This record gives sequence, C-alpha cells and structure tokens, in this order.
Amino acid sequence: MAKWGMVIDLDKCTGCQACTTACGMENNRLPGENWQDVIFYQEGEFPSGTLKWFPRPCMHCENPSCMEVCPTRATYKTEDGFVLIDWNKCIGCKYCMIACPYGVRFYTDEKAPIQPDIKQVFKGDGKRSWNPPWRAPDNRDDWKHGVGIQPNGVVSKCTFCYHRVSKAPKGTPDLDPKNPALREFTPACVVTCPPTARFFGDLDNPNSEVSKMIANKRGVRLRDHTGNKPQVYYLTGGAGGTIPTDRRGKKA
Amino acid sequence: MSNTASTTAAPSGLVNTIALAGIAGAVISVVLVLMSLLGEGHASFNTTSDGVVWGLPVATYVFFVLTSTGLTFVASFGMVFGIKEFYPVAKRCVWLALATLIAGFTSLAFELGHPFRMLWAIPTSFQIVSPMNWMGVLYLTYVVFLLLKFQKINAGDWDSPASKKLGIASFIAVILAHSMLGMVFGMMAMRPFWFGGMIPVYFLLTALLSGIALTVLMSYVAYGFNRDAMPPALQDLLKGTTSTLYASMPVIFATVLGITILALTTRTATGLWSHQDGFQAFDWMVASPWFAIEVIGMLVAFFLMANPGTRAGVGSQVVAAVLVLVGLFIGRYEFVVGGQVVPVFKGAWVDGFVQYAPSLTEWMLLVLSISLCLAIYAFGEKKLRLTDAPVS
Amino acid sequence: MDILKTKLSRRRFLQASGTAAGAAAVTGGVGYATLAPVSEAQAQSGGATTITKNVCGQCPARCGIDVYTTDGRVHAIYGNPDHPIANGKLCPKGHLGTYFLYDPDRFKGPMKRTNPKKGRNEDPKFVPISWDEALDTIAARLQSLRDMGESHRFALFYGRGWGASCAGLQGTFAKLYGTPNVIGHASMCAEGSKRAKLATDGNNSYNAYDYANTNYILNFGAGFLEAFRPYNYLMQMWGHMRSKSPKTRITSIDVRMSTTMAASDRALMIKPATDAALALAIAHVMLTEGLWDKEFVGDFKDGLNLFKSGQAIPEDSFAEKWTHGLVQWWNAVVKDATPKWAAEITGIAESDIVVTAREFGTTRPAMAIMERGPTAHTNGTYAGMCIHALNALAGTMFAKGGMFYQMGVPYGNLPVNADDYMDDYAKSPDRKKPRIDLAGSEEWPMAGTMMQECAKNHLAGKPYKLDTAMFYYTNPIFTSPDSKAWEEALKDIFVIDTSPFPGETAMYADIIVPDHTYLERLQDAPTYPFEGWPMTQLRTPAIKPLYDTKVYGDILIEIGKRMKGPMGEYYKAIGDTENVLRHLAKGFEKNPGDNGVNSFESWKEKGVWYKKPYLWRQYRGEFYEWDGKAYSKKMTEAEVKEKLLKTPTGKFEFKSGFLEKHADYIQKKLGVPPERVGFPQYIPARHTGGGDLHLVTPKTAMHAEGRGANLPHAIALAQPNMGGKTTIYLEIHPETAKKRGIKNNGKVRIKSNLGTIEAIARYSPAARPDTLVLPQEHGHWAQGRWAKNRLPGNTSEICENVSDPISGLACYYTGKVTVEPA
Repeated sequence: MAKWGMVIDLDKCTGCQACTTACGMENNRLPGENWQDVIFYQEGEFPSGTLKWFPRPCMHCENPSCMEVCPTRATYKTEDGFVLIDWNKCIGCKYCMIACPYGVRFYTDEKAPIQPDIKQVFKGDGKRSWNPPWRAPDNRDDWKHGVGIQPNGVVSKCTFCYHRVSKAPKGTPDLDPKNPALREFTPACVVTCPPTARFFGDLDNPNSEVSKMIANKRGVRLRDHTGNKPQVYYLTGGAGGTIPTDRRGKKA
Repeated sequence: MSNTASTTAAPSGLVNTIALAGIAGAVISVVLVLMSLLGEGHASFNTTSDGVVWGLPVATYVFFVLTSTGLTFVASFGMVFGIKEFYPVAKRCVWLALATLIAGFTSLAFELGHPFRMLWAIPTSFQIVSPMNWMGVLYLTYVVFLLLKFQKINAGDWDSPASKKLGIASFIAVILAHSMLGMVFGMMAMRPFWFGGMIPVYFLLTALLSGIALTVLMSYVAYGFNRDAMPPALQDLLKGTTSTLYASMPVIFATVLGITILALTTRTATGLWSHQDGFQAFDWMVASPWFAIEVIGMLVAFFLMANPGTRAGVGSQVVAAVLVLVGLFIGRYEFVVGGQVVPVFKGAWVDGFVQYAPSLTEWMLLVLSISLCLAIYAFGEKKLRLTDAPVS
Repeated sequence: MDILKTKLSRRRFLQASGTAAGAAAVTGGVGYATLAPVSEAQAQSGGATTITKNVCGQCPARCGIDVYTTDGRVHAIYGNPDHPIANGKLCPKGHLGTYFLYDPDRFKGPMKRTNPKKGRNEDPKFVPISWDEALDTIAARLQSLRDMGESHRFALFYGRGWGASCAGLQGTFAKLYGTPNVIGHASMCAEGSKRAKLATDGNNSYNAYDYANTNYILNFGAGFLEAFRPYNYLMQMWGHMRSKSPKTRITSIDVRMSTTMAASDRALMIKPATDAALALAIAHVMLTEGLWDKEFVGDFKDGLNLFKSGQAIPEDSFAEKWTHGLVQWWNAVVKDATPKWAAEITGIAESDIVVTAREFGTTRPAMAIMERGPTAHTNGTYAGMCIHALNALAGTMFAKGGMFYQMGVPYGNLPVNADDYMDDYAKSPDRKKPRIDLAGSEEWPMAGTMMQECAKNHLAGKPYKLDTAMFYYTNPIFTSPDSKAWEEALKDIFVIDTSPFPGETAMYADIIVPDHTYLERLQDAPTYPFEGWPMTQLRTPAIKPLYDTKVYGDILIEIGKRMKGPMGEYYKAIGDTENVLRHLAKGFEKNPGDNGVNSFESWKEKGVWYKKPYLWRQYRGEFYEWDGKAYSKKMTEAEVKEKLLKTPTGKFEFKSGFLEKHADYIQKKLGVPPERVGFPQYIPARHTGGGDLHLVTPKTAMHAEGRGANLPHAIALAQPNMGGKTTIYLEIHPETAKKRGIKNNGKVRIKSNLGTIEAIARYSPAARPDTLVLPQEHGHWAQGRWAKNRLPGNTSEICENVSDPISGLACYYTGKVTVEPA
C-alpha cells in the first residue's frame, strides 16, 4: 500500500497562496477556511528585518492525535495514509481541533470572518451548509471521506484531495502534474504551485521522487517533538548541517 | 424499611422564589438560545477556528459536571464512607448532583454540532483510545446509577445491600467519569497549559470544593438562611460542633479550599516560570482582572472558614460558599479557554493571543444552565423531601 | 441605497433576454445557465465536464486557463498546461475567477439612471432598459454632439483593455467619430519605466525578459513575487532560477519588506525616491573596477581604465561600440556618484552597495529590472534611466539571459479599412483639438496619456469641458490620485459605464451597459511583454452569458452602427467582435503558430497562438537575426537602429537625444540645466502631501489590478504577511508608532494635505521607520456587499495628483503624510 505524502521545497516557495486558493476552489471552501494555509512570520527589525513563511496543509500524520481523541471514530486513517473525516459520524465536539498540534482543522459553524456571511448569500439546501453557484459536480460529494461541501455542525480539513488521489493507478510512485496522464489525480495545491515547490508521492517507496528529494535536500517535519510523525516534509536546502528527523517508526 | 427522620421546617419561602426564578430564567434563555441557534447556528457563538473552539458553554459544562462530582462525593461521605455526621445533607446532595449534571449536559448539548447523533455514535464506536469517548460512556453510566440511588433513598431505603451497592457504584462511576474529563485535557501534550497526569486529581480536588460550597449554600437556602430552623444534626454539621473534627463542614471546607489554593499557586508558579512555548497562556491568565477576583475571593473564603472566630457564622459560610463558587467558575473558564489562547500555527493571522469573549447566546446558555439547576433543585426541595436523612 | 433589490425584482428584462439563469437568480440561488429550468434530479446526474480555453482577467499577465464546466456550473479554473505563460499553473487570483462570474452584485442588464443627483450617498435609482434603448440613447447623444461640432467632448476612458477586439476598436471609433480622447490608464500604471527606456534605448515599451537563462537579477522595486507581471510566470521562473545550475542570484531593493525582498539573496531597504543614486553608484563601481561589458559598450583605446573616482576624462579616450555618451555621462554625473555619496542619500550601507555592484558586475548574464517603484516620483524617469543604464553596462540588451522587446502579432486585416469611411467632418482639420488630458501638448509634451489630469481639466474647463464619457475597465473615482476630484467632475458629464460590477464610477453613470465577465467572453488578448516572441490568446465563453450583458467590443460596434453616415456603414461592415476575430485570425494562415494554430477554429480550440523564437540576439557585441534555424545573420548598424536600438544615434544612449529635444521643458519643470538634461542622473524628488512620513501603497499578490475587492475569498487572504484578513493593516515601525502614541492594532488617521483616511495599524519592526506601508485594496463605498465600508480608507483620496513631467506617470508613491491615533 502507498503511504501518500507531500514534500514542500521552502527554497522555492514564493508565499503567493496559490495553493490556498486552488484548494479553496477545488474543495469549495469558505473564505478564510484555509484547509491549506500559508503561515507568515516577521523576524528581525529594520534594516535587517525579514519575512518567513511556509505552506501548511494537513500533515496526515502517521500517529494522528486527532484520530485518537475522536469519540466517534469520525476521524480515521486509511491504509494508504489519508487522515479523513466521516461527516456522517462527526458530532462536532471539536476535540480533534483541540488535539491537532498544527491547527489545520475547521469548524465553519461559526462567525464568518468576512461579512456578510457568504453562507447566507448562497444558502445551503438543507443538506450542505452552503451552496455556491460554482459548487463542484455533485458526483464528487463523498461525506464518508470528508469531500464536498460539509453539512453544518461538523469539522473539516484538507483531504490530500482524496477524491483525486484515490483514483490514481495503484503503485504510482509520484503524482506529477506535468504528466498529463497523472494531472487529474494530483492534489490541487500541487497542480497549481507556480514555482513548483510542492510534490506528492509515495513515502513508502524509496524509489519515488519524494523520497529522493527528502534525502537530497534535507527534508524535515514540523513540530517533530510531538511524535505525530507528519507525512508532509519540508525541504530546507542543500547544506550539510541540518535538523535531524527521526523517520523510524511503525510502518503503515 | 423506612428510617427517615423528617422535619417540616423546610422548604422555606425562598425556595419558591428560586423555583420561579429558575423556571422563568430557563424559559427566557432557552427561547433566546433557540432563536439564535435556529437562525444562524453556531455563528451566534464567538468561538473561531483560529483557536478558541471550546468557549463559555464548555466551561459551563465542566463547572457543572465537576460540581456534580463533588456533590456525589459529599453525599458519599455519609452513604459510602459511613460518616454519620453527613447524613443530613446526603439526599439534597444527590438531588443537586442530578440537577447540576443535567445543567451541564444542557450546555454541552447546545454546544455540539450534532448532540443527538452523539447518543448512538459514541457508544457504538468503541474508540477506546479516546478520553472523550470514555467520558461520555462513564457519565451516562454515572447518571443511571445516580438516578437509581436517588430512587432508593427517596423510597426511604438507605441501607439495603442494593442501595449500598448503588451508592458505591455511583461514587466509583463519578470518580472515573470525572477522571476521564480530566484526561480529556490532561492528555493533550501539545497544549502545555493543560498537560499533566495530575489534572484529574486537580479536577477532583476542585470538584470536591465546589460540591462542598454548593452543599453549604443550598442547605442554607433550603431553610431560608435560618439555621435555627434546621434539624439539630444539620446544625451541628454546619456549625462544626459535631463530635468528630473531620466531620465538621467548616473544617472540611477550609481544608479542601486550602489545598486547592496551594495547588492553584504551584500550578500558576510553574506555568509562569517556564519559557516553553504554550506556557504563555499563564501570562494571559494572570493578566486578567478576573484572576485577581478569583484569587482574592478564594483567599477571603479561606480566611473565613479557617478562622475559628468566623467559620461557624451563617453569614461567613454563605459568603465563603458564594466566593468559592464564583472563583471556581472563573477558574474553569480560565482553564478551558486558557489552553486555547496560544495560537497553533496561525502565524501573522493571529497576532498575539487568540481573542475570545463569549457572545450573548453563550451567556444565555450559562443563564439556562443556572436556571435549570435552580429549577430542578427547587422542584426536588418542594416535592421530594430533600430534608430526609437516615436515622443515626 | 439598495441597488440589489432594484435589480433582482425586475423579471421583465431578464425574461426578455431569454436567459433562464435570470429566473434562478431571482429566486435567490444563481444556478444553472441553461435555457430551461433544470430539475434537481437532472442537475445532480453528474454529467460530462467540458473544458474551455480562456484567459484569466485579473491582471495583465494573460495566463491561459482551462475552465471546467459541469451541469451548467463553472466550477474550476486551472492553468492551461499548453499555454506558455501559464504552463498549467496559476497565481492565487486565477482560481477565484468564478467569483466574478457569479458575483451576486453584478449588473443583470442595461439600466438608466433616474436620480439626476450624483454623489456618494445618492442612490442612482437605476431602472432596467433594453439594449436597444440603451444603445439608441448613447448613439443619439453622440450623434447630437457631433452634429453640433463638439464631438471632441466625448471621451473614451479605458483601463485594462485586452486586445484588438475590445480596446483596440476604440482608436478607430474615435477617429471616425471625431474625438482625440481615447484616454488609457498607462499614466496611472507604470508609464515611467517605458519613458526611461525610450530615452535610453529608443523603445517606448515594457521589456520582455529571458529570466530562464539569467544569472543575476538586480531588482529595483519590482514586486517580483507579488504583482510584477506576468506574475504566475515569474514565480515559475523563480522556481527554475532557484533550482538551475548555476543558481540565479537575486538582490532586491525596495522601500518595504515583502516576500520578494525576503526570498532574495540580499534585501536592501532604500529611502523612497533615491533609487537613482544607488544605480549610479553601482555604475560607478562597474566603471572604476573595469567590470563593464567591453564587447557591447566598448573600451579605452589603449586598454587602460581611466575611470577614477572624481576625475573627468577626455571624450576621445574611449571607443564606444553600441553605446553613446558614456564618457560625457561619466564626466557630468557618474564620476562623483561614489558608493559613499549614494550611502548618504539612500541610507544603504556603503559596503552593501560595493558588494552588490561587484556581484552584478562580475556575473553574466545580469539584468537590472524595475517598474513602478522607483519611477512613481517626480524624478522617476531619470531614476529609471539610471537603472536601465546598468543593462547597457552589463551587456544585457538583447542578449541571452537579458532583456528585449515584445514582437507584435501578425493579425489579419479587418474586413474594411476605416480610412475609407472618414467623412468630411472626421477628416476636417477642426478635429485636431487638444486631448482632454492635454497629453502631448505643451503641458505634457512627452506624455502619451494623462488620465489623472482629466477630472481637474474638466472642472477647470481647460482645454474644454467634457459632455459625455464612456468607461471601460477603469474606475477612476476609486483609483485616480485625488480621486475625489472625479466625484465632482462626473457630476455634470453624461457617464456611460460598461463594467459588469457596481463600482464607484458606475454609481455616477447615466447609462449602464454591462460587459460580460471574462468567462463569458469571446475576446482576444495579445500578450503583455513576456519573452519577446509574439503570442496572442483567445477567450472563449465557458457558458452562455448569465445575464443580459454584451461584450464590450459589440457595445462599441452596435453604437457605431447607429451613427449616421459612413461611420455607421463601417460598423455594419465590421459586424460584431466574432467577425473581427475571424479576420484577425486569418493572419495565422500564413503564420501558423508553433502549436499548429492557423485559423480561427484552431485558435479557439487551443486558446493561444505563438511563434518562437525572438528574432534577434546580441552576442558578444554583435547583433544577429534569426534565419529560420539559428541566430546567424549578422545585422548592420542601420538594421539595429531600425529594429532594436531605436534612438537617434542607433545606440544605447547615456546622453539621451530624446530628452535633449525637450530640454527647455525639462529645465522648466525639473530645474535640470539644458546641458545635463540627457543624462541618467539623480535629482531629489519633490514630495507631496505635506506630512513627515512616506506613504507607499504597494499591490499585494491578491490585489494586482484591484478587481478582487468584492471577493470575500481574496479579502480573507489579502495581506498574509501582517495577518490582514478582514482589513489591510497599516504597516508601521513600532518606534515610529510609539512616538505618536499609536498602539498595535489601534485605529489611526492618516492625513495629507488632501484629506484623511482611517486604518488599523500593526507594528512591523521590519518596516522603515520613515515609511508607512498601506497596500491599496479597500475603502470602497460601492463595488459590492463585501467591498463596501471596509477599512482602511481609500488611499487615492489622500494622494496628491502630481506627475513626473517627463513620463506623465502619476507619483502614487511620493506622498508624505502624518499619522495619529484615531
């Protein structure tokens, strides 16, 4: 079975947020519901101040703390590495939002950050919590895997574009959007990234490009001390000295 | 076999007032809450995915169910541990435990996205690694046992093997259930403000404290603050003139309060001292004027209950009880919200601590919980002879 | 003022136009744009997805896009993998295109104003009318103006025109009609850099670049990773440049911290309006240390480097090859432009200047780029010349890894020639009136367009008052410097607005004739300067128009048809924009594109026509033309002058003949003595506003050309570096703030001599203490429900209308303001 993972090259990421909007429109997200988000920090001060940023999708951890706290098993991990939410089982307790060390989850049954609330402009139809005119095709709705526009009262998050990736042929080592045969299976954020800073592939396959990149450009994981073991790696550059990451752990 | 000694002095006229206030409060607040929730759903809350997702309604829930734990504990002093001096408050405590539990669950039910789904989704999931799953299952078990126990003692059966077993079962169930509630927070290693295996113990301590405080307060309410109208056994307990020192309510109150103050102090000091990311929440906590109110209130209450000159007075006991209840409510809110104010990877989107202040709807939920609690209590006081106690 | 109610309750015109989407719109959920109401069951069948080719309309880059439509819903936009700018990628704005199509505040059809009063708080009281009534009204008004001999009092204002089938029709329309007033927005855009290039290398244009092969970029103020265009492509190039061997080194110079600055290898924070000094100092180092490209520029006759700081040298000591005036420039300007001198002016450390200069000077190919940042000041054209001069010194012009100019597209001819349809009125010398913006007149002799002057000129009646104005893709009430002047000026002008959206200018309109949104249009869009080789892309509609709208080209043509005389005949012969496009595409028959496009049909199918390579290259000091297989045809000096270095001397001029022709004007306006007028030089800028802190209003990645104001998704992502999601924060240095009693997240008032706006301030330690940064985005009082009444206020309201005299570029970035707690 694959262990799908993402690699993000911080040397190339331009902080443009195209990944955020591509995800937002592919998955019909609300304004501000950034399943994929780019997190910025400012450091230093004039004249040597700077900005730092990194894209932050869901980490689809190997040991997801969100799954372990969910009282109804609405949040679960599949065999090929996706951490997903079943909207038929979620009771909206938001414990998973508490337990996620990366802050990737959303509960949109809350005040809209941008007023007027677009959910009131494009009202839901009793099933979905809202219904925009650009809604994705209906046959893409898949509540069991947290795909589509969610109903009210449930938590949602990045699905690694499960509705796309799950259709990829078994054994594919990498999903490269430049390959016309694989483009439709590639997650939206990876498809659109203009500087080609994002990659998606099978972390369990040592021959995959993602595995090689992690080795060649010192891929590290975020907040590794939590022990969640994210399946998203950040490439930090070619220098010899770098932050170690413990990739040992139980196999998927 | 009935071994109930009853008295006709209670319920006082005050209880009628409380009944009316409770019912009115519950009706008004539930209407307002429903109007908001049916109109805009949980957008009527001020919680946000930026960080504070468990707000006042969850703090309310925690406060009430922990108080329920404490009340069962106090009731168990008599019914499980056999300390006869606590018999006079036992039945009232059990009923109050039910009232506060219902009040807490009400707040939680309006907070959840799908409260009815919870009833089947939690038990059938067998997600044994989830502390919240256990919390749900165990609180359900607890409420069943408690209801059955109340049924027994209401029928006058205090001592039968079945009644005793139910008493023990209720006690054990609530200890386990509240411990699971403690571990819902304590197991969160990624939130240092909450993390720790001792959190369930800290919860038990503070639960017992709020249980004692509410017992004291409602005992006086039942008799219209007229201690002379109370049965002698109850008067002795409250005045601390029983034959055994540890069976004195003011002594127990002061002791538990003292330990709580110590625990709060060491917890706060540890948090302020540490530089580790996540502990900034303690800075947030002590900067709030509510923290000062909480601390001063607890210290004043402790002084009132520890000082032999004041601890037996009706006024000082009522004041201490109120100060402790208010202080503990503030403490619950601080605890629940504090663990969420340090943003997790929000970067520049959240500039500083996550901002949260409850909305009107959330305050109405608190009003609803308090009103329900009072209304249920008043019903019990008037119709279910909460003054009953086993003959010692 | 509830415009939405007015529009939504008018079923009549929606039904008249036959689009059933209108019915859906009235019931509250904009849905399926098919000709009959679709039942829910049918709609949920999950039918086939069609992918149509289109061109994103949110910035000038013109990325080709694939538009996905299923069940009558346009639900996704991705970059077209076969489009040379998009390459299958998109910037953050591109994906949000469906928000424009389905904007709930869009105009649903033509309307006329019934409230004669105009103002911010006046409800126009629009009532829907038919297209016939709208077009007849406009044509009648234009006709009567013409019949009175006052056709010059009609003006066409346009912002983002796309190509020959929309804005490209305006010139002919104006010529046939008899008005000089086709007023583009370039002077409110980036005109300064164009003029800097005209003055030095003879090309009045933006550059095309070969980023893929360059090894050094010296970036003066271009938001390379934010809003420079083509933005999407620039980020692709960034990824390539950071991965290739050798890795391209990038030094950015700007007045604010940004992603471009942070991602560069070196960031130099410069004092606003002093870029010329830095560029001159770099030139100084290159010359004194012998780092200039000797094969392109030339060398000392005896090979000895005589460039020494402060020392003039004999003019005949140097033999120039492709440059002109180097020694005079050195003697007059550069010899004293030492790094130490520049450090004092710019605030950048001398050591940084020297290191940067040496890096730039020793790396090949190396390019010095800029756009609006350094040039939006009164000294802007000269600053641009100083920067561009570095490209000559480094031998970058027309070289691999260097800079070129965009080749035009071999469009076919229109079915009829406009010159054959000029009546006597149109041909009469009486038509030679000054433009309303006075561009090209004694006021602004070197400016091609000066839109920002029009409100002022109309109010003064100088050169005359306008009668009627039509607006296409521009909203000067919001964007012009001293924007409030337009609120006065448009009160007594008959305003025709073609925007699909209820912007501020539309609120002043007498007639609304709404255009389609870009996903509904058939429209051409030749590329913005890109890599030099010609390219033109085509929009094809993804769905039938949602509402009763009409593509702008057709609006112009339909008005034209209604004009009396030969003008009407011309437009009847033109037919419509589709006919125009078919004729344009005939040009591809003899010039098939590299992807096989050789007809209108194949152009629609592929979405883009392009033909590589760029036909010229400079290599080691020689120019070559492409012969079909290689750059092998060596070019003569005359050929180079005709096609590439189009200056009076045919060389890259460090002593500009173009400017010397206007020496008196420049001396009068800028105080530069006539003998120095031609040299790239630093002159201190004249700052406006009257305050003590510089105010810069950059464009963020989500803003580009500002059309995202009513997109809640764009608003929520507008300013990620400061966390601006419900507002855009004023970035202020903490010390600067504290000195003025301003708290972090506190509300502030920003004041200039024009007025005051409010904003919320956030501390930004990386900011220059003397500079406030407030990206322009919000402050709308119209434009839609999400745009309206959102802080901060509109910076245009406090930006004085002052322009660089040489280029005419509005000096948006030169204002100085005061700030205080509100």
